Parts: sequence; structure tokens; C-alpha cells
Amino acid sequence: MQTTRKPWKLLLSSAMILALLAGCGSGNSNEGASDSGAAGTEAAANKEGFPIVNEPVTLTMMAPDVGIQNWENMAVLQEMQKLTGITMEFQNAPKDSFETKKNLVFASGDYPDIFYAAGLTTAEQMNYGEQGILLPLEDLIDEYAPNFKALLEENPDVRKSITAPDGHIYSLPVVELSQHWYRNPMWYNGDFLKALNIEKLPETTEELYTYLKRVKEEDPNGNGIADEIPISSVTTTAANLRDIRTWLLGAFGVYEEEIYVDDNDVVHYTPLEEGFKEYLTYMNRLWSEELLDHESFSQTAEQKKAKAQENRVALFSDWHAYMTKGGEPSTEDPMFAPVRSESVAAPAIAKNRGITTGAFAISESNPNPEASIRWVDYLYSYEGATFFNKGPEGILWEYTDEANRVKQYLPVPDGKEMEDYRATLTPNYGIPAPTLSMDDINKGLKTDFDLWVEQETQQKLLDKGARIPFPALFLTVEEQTEISSLNSDLSTYVKQMEAKFITGAEPLSGWDNYVATVKKMGGERVAEINQAAYDRWKAN
Amino acid sequence: MKGSKALGSGNPSLKKNTLGKRIWKNWELYLFMLPALLYFFIFHYGPMYGIQIAFKNFVPSKGITGSEWVGFDHFERFFNSYFFWDLLWNTFSISFYELAIGFPLPIILALAFNEVRNGPFKKTVQTVTYAPHFISVVVMAGMIITFLSPSIGMIVRVIEFLGFQPAQFLTDPAWFKTVYVFSGVWQSTGWGTIIYLAALSGVDPQLHEAAIVDGASRIKRVLHINLPTIIPTITIMLILNMGNILGLGFEKILLLQNSLNMEASDVISTYVYRAGLVNAQYSFSTAVGLFNSAVNVILLVTVNRIAKRTSENSLW
Amino acid sequence: MVTAMKESRGDKLFLISTYVYLCLALVVVLYPLIYILSASISSPQDVNSGAMWLFPKNVTLDGYKLVFENPKIWNGYLNTIIYTVLGTLLNLAVTLPASYALSRSDFVGRNLFMGIILFTMFFSGGLVPTYLLVKNLGLINSMGALILPVAASVWNIVVARTFFQTTIPKELQEAAHIDGCTNLKLFIRIILPLSAPIVAVMALFYGVGHWNSYFPSLIYLNDEAKYPLQMVLRQILVLQEMSAETTGAAINGEVAVAMNNKAETASLIKYGVIVVSTLPIVAVYPFLQRYFVQGVMIGSVKG
Repeated sequence: MQTTRKPWKLLLSSAMILALLAGCGSGNSNEGASDSGAAGTEAAANKEGFPIVNEPVTLTMMAPDVGIQNWENMAVLQEMQKLTGITMEFQNAPKDSFETKKNLVFASGDYPDIFYAAGLTTAEQMNYGEQGILLPLEDLIDEYAPNFKALLEENPDVRKSITAPDGHIYSLPVVELSQHWYRNPMWYNGDFLKALNIEKLPETTEELYTYLKRVKEEDPNGNGIADEIPISSVTTTAANLRDIRTWLLGAFGVYEEEIYVDDNDVVHYTPLEEGFKEYLTYMNRLWSEELLDHESFSQTAEQKKAKAQENRVALFSDWHAYMTKGGEPSTEDPMFAPVRSESVAAPAIAKNRGITTGAFAISESNPNPEASIRWVDYLYSYEGATFFNKGPEGILWEYTDEANRVKQYLPVPDGKEMEDYRATLTPNYGIPAPTLSMDDINKGLKTDFDLWVEQETQQKLLDKGARIPFPALFLTVEEQTEISSLNSDLSTYVKQMEAKFITGAEPLSGWDNYVATVKKMGGERVAEINQAAYDRWKAN
Repeated sequence: MKGSKALGSGNPSLKKNTLGKRIWKNWELYLFMLPALLYFFIFHYGPMYGIQIAFKNFVPSKGITGSEWVGFDHFERFFNSYFFWDLLWNTFSISFYELAIGFPLPIILALAFNEVRNGPFKKTVQTVTYAPHFISVVVMAGMIITFLSPSIGMIVRVIEFLGFQPAQFLTDPAWFKTVYVFSGVWQSTGWGTIIYLAALSGVDPQLHEAAIVDGASRIKRVLHINLPTIIPTITIMLILNMGNILGLGFEKILLLQNSLNMEASDVISTYVYRAGLVNAQYSFSTAVGLFNSAVNVILLVTVNRIAKRTSENSLW
Repeated sequence: MVTAMKESRGDKLFLISTYVYLCLALVVVLYPLIYILSASISSPQDVNSGAMWLFPKNVTLDGYKLVFENPKIWNGYLNTIIYTVLGTLLNLAVTLPASYALSRSDFVGRNLFMGIILFTMFFSGGLVPTYLLVKNLGLINSMGALILPVAASVWNIVVARTFFQTTIPKELQEAAHIDGCTNLKLFIRIILPLSAPIVAVMALFYGVGHWNSYFPSLIYLNDEAKYPLQMVLRQILVLQEMSAETTGAAINGEVAVAMNNKAETASLIKYGVIVVSTLPIVAVYPFLQRYFVQGVMIGSVKG
């Protein structure tokens, strides 16, 4: 007892003095950080070529981590250090708690020099940008980021989407212009199509209904039991139907589940749209005839997969069909081609925005912003993007025709899964890292299945008029605050009512009451705010 | 040593002692308190200035003192929420339901343990019932969903086997609270016995011997000797629980929540969690937390007062 | 408590129903526990489809392999044991003297102290100021950050105080004082030895708290070598649980494939992790049970 008591009594009393000092306010610590930022600016960076700096520079980098490999030991980052002369000190936090840690870092005033894959929200970019914690990057881009500058010139929309309302660019985005899916696609179970002799996939909601009905009644899996489930969906934390909603909404002319802009630049709030009502009516019909899995509002993704693997599900959503159905990648399970209802001429199809903002930012304490921006600019070049995506040449892949950028895969060392091995080479695994993904990176590496998926995407989505439902844009701080406070009640109410309408717990005759309530809760205001932001974006 | 001398001489005339003397007599007890007080002042009262962010629009980089003052905005937003009364009702009803079922069970189980001969059986039951406490919330929720799933759930199958029509446990709002409370009982009853078992170790064996001589039955001895011994502990636990009524955690509820049972399952903490997801809304959640605390304090003080009047056991 | 006395029929009936009640409790609790053990070694497909409902099916040790192949796991165990032991010792050193003092009705000002402590149960400054405090104390990335901010809990102090109040007879204190025994001696020589059950309970409550805790290490530790077991396990789980996010899409294809591979083992790992992290602490419990036997202390007092 006594032996343990003495030491910590001492510790605590000295702790108390410090605590009293701490109480004086956190404002002071910020100033300290900005001092160090101003002090070391003289370490200039070379404008082009490698190394980036002549004298070694050390910078701190904060990033989310998936816990497979320490970043110091990643081949890509080690080579990057040799190439650039910049040593990174990593401050990683596990991916699932990164948000918490990020906020504490901003609160404590000890900023890292660089935020990497930090997923800074637009609100954060504006708040911290305005206060000078994040540096404006547009001048640095002009001078030190030739690759990214070229990207902006080719894609003016990208510049519009990353520029804050005050005219500054505070963060660089993830650019994935070759990733077109807005949500995971839906896939038909090819076995069922064959068993029912379906030559032509459904094109209208009625045809889809007829097909699903046949699945239910004609035992396409041939086991003699009516255990088929026409459509199955899953529940994640307080989000239902998210995997299938967008695809079915499209049939009624609605591009997105919350906010979208029509061809006349008018912004719509989906829960108030007539198309949403038609969607609910249709879904209610599927539900009451048991064409929509009655466990859709309670089952987990694993449970859905288990059903599909017993060959019971006809139509479902996933990245690729085989991931739900089990087995090897197969071209026998076709992609769902969006259907249309009688009230529209063609289905609305949503396409991915292709950019995610907030992937890279530089803080005020960074002693060498020029070198930092040159470092990240490399990731927007073909070489750098390939390097960060696939690791250095000679480990997982090699060139067969370097001039044309054609590559082939090498056998994976230690007989591991390729993705697992890749995760030990490069940080760009499962996090929104700043980079540009382009087709050339995978030239020669694509399998027949990959090519087939691309073709399905082209024919069924892109050629049918898929477009971005609502551009990535900035709201002002006031708009952001208002929207978040409106949304916290609205989205709960809408989701709840959607489920009730679909399952029949609330008859569709209650639609008018529902609309009145949504309006009372500020649904129209949500559309208004977004309309204003969209108009600003458009005018830029 | 000085204190004990004064004590020894002053003891017979205790009533005449002045306040100073009474304090001096037990000067060591203040030393006993010191580490705890230091701890609470440094680690709890030290950061207490953070409460003001409930009245501010907290931006981490501006600091707590530097953030903009907005008064009662966050409170108003909470009170004006469309769901405010639902949230309050759900939080209260789940908590009281939990208390009504979950509070007495550990006491009964502890009394039962106490009656059983020490040996492998007792050890096994005790250890097994204690183990579920360590199951993480995620796995717990996963098991609840699996066991109650209409297509594959064990519990559903057993109900069907017994010839009943199973309810939609996972999606029917009427069932949510029961599922939540009973799964909680399953998980924490064994763990809850520990306190009472410790309290039962204080039962005086001589009382039992005397009672046996008087011919008292086992059940009578449990009710008239064992139970009264742990009544103070029971009272204190009840008071503490009452002071935590609005503090219902969000994790398990969130994992069991879906759009269909939402009207019965949405509680204050899940609401705050969702609000925070949109935007790290420290200020809003602090404001709601402050509201919870205020209600809890009122409940605690009230219950404590009742306890003080009706028994000798109270927190102060 | 079993005495050699002959038992009446009523007593027997009562005892039998007690045993029946306990057996029932045993079965009800045991089933899900067996389910977890079985699920941790069954093929995920059988677990998710409901084919595995009691005993393992298509046994696989992949889940455990994945956990134990992680080089950080043993270091995590070691760290957790160190944090738990030292943290619990600190907890006891703070809690027991304070709750004993608070249990004494002749302790002037105890209601004031009680109020000071109870207040913190309801009102706290929140995460950010606490983080700043820990940072300013220079505790970031040290063990101090894990054990000092949780050096005592109001709840446990109240529980221990109640125990002292109800089980330590007042006469004992008075007798000791008349003998000229100081409070310190009284506490160490007499009260503590008599209070084995509450010491055991406190050690258990605090110890389990340290064992299960991950949030402080999550926000205060930067160095992976210092991660406790729960953090290491969380890191393993992060990847597995990312598969759930894929319902949202808009990630790149290779990640989707990777996530899919992980999803296969996700449920395996989920249950395996529970077993790995819980077994040691569950195994401790039977050793503490001997302190919860009726009459272990009072006999010595009366004598």
C-alpha cells in the first residue's frame, strides 16, 4: 500500500500545477505552432526533377492506417524518400478512429505538416482554411505542381469542385475519372435467367415485375421448394435499402436518393418528388407479393450473401456478382440494366462524381510547402500514380512494353493474396489517398472479366445517359450548419416513412400528410440551399 | 500519534468536542481522501471548463474559450426537434424497463448462489453466467440478429416448434424494447451478482446458527437474515442506477436499430450520435449531455431523499 | 452455507428449486457461449446461413491463424497485462482509503467530499479539454495517459464505501481507538484484512475495465509498440469491418476485391477475437470466488 502510494502522490501534485497552467486556455498553443511554421521557410524546393530538395527535409504526415504494415516499412514510401530527399514522419491513426484523432489534433494546435488521405470535409476545409491553419494551395499548384495543374486545365469541373467559396483551394482531391459507378451495380443471377429462358433483360418496371414474379413461382433453382428470393437488400447501421434504392429510383426519373439536379438546372429534394411516391408504390407492390426479401430491413450483409450462396437470390447488389454469389468471377451473371416506368421516357442513371475532396492538405506549421506540393504532385502523374497504386516495378508487376505502358503481373511472393501483399507495399489501400486513377495504370493487367465488366458498364449505364446527379461543391459555413441541423431530423423521418410505406405499415394514402410533414421540417429549404450552392458552382 | 493521544483522552466527552477537535481527531482520514480528491480535481474539475462549449459553436482550432458564443441555440434545437418527445419517452421507457427486469435478477441469482454448496457446480455456474459480460457489443448485436432472424433464428425456430406464431422481433417496434432489455439481462445478470455476493460475505454466521436453533426454515433465513444484510447495497445501487437513467448507451441500440423499429428504438444517445456523424457536432452533443445530466441529477437527488426518509441508507 | 443440521422437507424443496433455477440459468447462458466458440471455428458460410447452430461445422482454424499470425498480438497481451496490473494497483490505492474515510460517520466533511465526487459523475468537460490536459501533463504516448485519467471511479468509490459502512461494525473502530490505534494502523492492520471481498470486487471491476479499454490508447498512444491487446485486435478487425462499407460503393475495384476476401473471414475473426481477448480474464474469476463466501470475515471480528 504505502510503497505504491508515495510515487504517484508526487506525480499528481506536479501534475496539478501543469493542469492549472493548462486551464489558462488552448489559444496559446496555436501561436507556438505558427512560429515554427514561419521559421523554416527558407528550405526551398527545386522546381522540377528529383530530388525535390537538395538539403534533406523532414516533414510530419498524418494519415489513416489500416494496420497491415507500418508505413516506415512500405517499399513505396521508402523509395519515395530516396527519390525526393524528403523524409516523412508518420502520425497514423487507425482508420475507424481517424475522425476522432483528427479533431483532437486540430483542437490541440499541434498540427502535422501534411494531412494525407485525411478526408477533410468541405466544412473543415473552409473553417481551417479561413483561420489560416490550412494553407491556400492555388499559387503553389501554379508554380510547383505541373501534373495537377494540367489535370485542372483538362477538367475545369474539378477546379470548380475543389475551390472553396472564398476562392481558395485548401485541399487536393482523389480523382478517379475511370470509376463510373455511383453505387455498387445490381446483378442478375445468370442461372435463374437461363432456367426461365430469358432472352432479353427487363427494360420496364412491369417487365421486371413479371420476371421477379416468375422467379418466385417457377422454381428456377430447381430444388422443388419455393425458396427463391427475387430481390434481397441489407441493413447497415440505420441505413436500409441503400444498396438497391438508387437503381430503382432511376426508373421513376429520380437520379439520387436525396439531392439531384435535373437537365434544366433545377435542384430537387427527392423525398418530396412525385417519382419518389411512384417508387414507394412499386416497392410496396414488390413487398406485398414477397418479391422483395422481407428480411431486407433487418438482415446483415453476411446473411444476404449466405442466401445467395445457396442459389436463392435473383437480383442483388454488390461490387461484382461473384462476391455475393460465391465462386469465381463469371460473365454469366449480367449487370442489371436500369429499367423505366411508364411515366418516363428513359431511366435516370447516376454516375460517380469521380472526385473526392479533402485528400491532401498542408498546414501552417509546414516548413516547406513548396516541397510538399511537389511531393504530392508526383502522385498525379502517370508514373507516380502507378507507383503508388501498384508498388515499384519488379515486385508485383513488370513492363512488357514500357513505351506503351503495357504491364504484366508477376507471381506474388510468399504465395499470399495479391491485395494483401500490395497493402504491405503502398499506403494507398482502402483509404482516400490523393492520386489520379487512369486507364493506363492497368494496361495489360486487365482480365477478360474486367473487360467484360467495363463493356457492361459502357452499354448498360454510360451509353444510356448516366450522368453525375449533383456535382461535388462547397456550401458556405452558414448553409452547412443549417443543412446539418435540418437533415438530422429529416433523414430520420424520411427513412422511417419510406420503410413504413414499403412494408404497408403506413398506407400510401398517407402520402399527403407525409409531404406536409417533410415540408414543415424544412425539406424545401434543403432544396433551396442546394440550389443556391449549385447556381454559384455553375456560375464559376 | 498525536492525534490518537488526543482521541484517547477526549473520547469519553465526545459531545463537548468542538468542530476543530473533531476534525483533528481524524486528521489521517483527510490524507486518505487526498489522492482521490487530487484525482477528481485534476482530471475532472480541471477539464470542466469544457462544458461551456454547450453554449458555443465549438470549432476545434479556435479552442474552447475562443469559439463563438451562441447561448441556448443548441438546447433549443434539441427541444424543437420533431422527435424530442419520442426520444425522451423511448429513453425513459427503455431505462425503466431495464431497471424493472435487470435490477432484481442479479439479487435473486446472488441469493441463490449463496444457498448452494461450494464446489465445482457453483464455480461453473458462477463463471459461466459471468462470461457474457465480456462479449463485445458488435458480436452481441450480431448474435441477437442471428438468433431472431425469421428465416434462420434459433429462438424463432424454437417458438415455431412449440406451436406458436413467432413475432417479427427485429422489425416490430412493439418488440424492440423487450429484445433490448432481455438480451441485456442475459449479458449482465451474472456480472451484476458480484457486488451482492461480496455484500453477502458480510452475513454473520452466528445469526444463522441462532436462527437454526430457533427452527427457522431456509427460506425464512434467506429473507430475514441474508436479504436485510444486503439491503443497504441494494438501496445504493438503486440510487446510482436512477442517477443514470438518461445515460442509456448508444452502441447496442444503434446496431439493433432499423427503419422499421425506429419509432421505438430511437433514444437520445443514438440521436446525438447521428447528429455528430453529419458534422463533428461537439457543441450539440455537449448540450444534450448537459440536459441529460440535469435530469439525472434531479432524479438522483429525489431518489436519495426518498431513501433517506424511508431507510438509513443514502448517498449523503 | 451448509450446516450439518437435519433439513426439513420445506428446506429440501427450497434447495431443489434453487438448484433447478441455477441449472436453468446455466443452460440459458451457456448456449450462446457455445455458439460463439463453435462459430469461431466453423466455416463462415455455415454460420451465416444458420446451418451451424450449436456444434462447429466444417471446422477451420483460419480465424485464429489470422489473429495469432499478427506479430503484434503477443506484445499486445504483454502491454495489456502491464497496464491492467499497474492501473488496478493505482485504482485500489486511490479508491480504498477514500471510500473508507467516506464510510466513517465521524469524518467531518464527508458529505461535502461525497458531493464533490458525485458531481463528476454527471458533469464532465468532455473529450477535448481532457485531451488537452493529458497533453499538457506530458502524458501523451505514455502509460500515464492510460491509467492516471481513470485512477478512480465514482461508482466504485460509492460501492466500496457502502461495503465498509455496512460490514465493519462501529464497535470495532471505537475499540481500536480506545486501544490507541491510529486510523492508519486501523485501516491497514484491521480493516483491509477484513475486507477481502470488497478488495477482490474492486480489483475485478477496475481490472476488467483496464483489460477491455481501448479508447484512451486510441487517442493518447502514437507508438504501435505500446498498443494494448484490444487495440491490436481492433486493428485486425478494422479491415474486416470495412467490408460493410462496400454497400456504399464509390471505392476502387481492387479495394472491393480485397474487402470481399476479408469479408469471407470476417465472421470467423469476429468470434475468434472474442475468445482470444476474453479467455484470460474469465479464467481469473474462479480464483476470486473464494473471497465471496459468506462469513469469511466476520468470524474473526467477533472473536
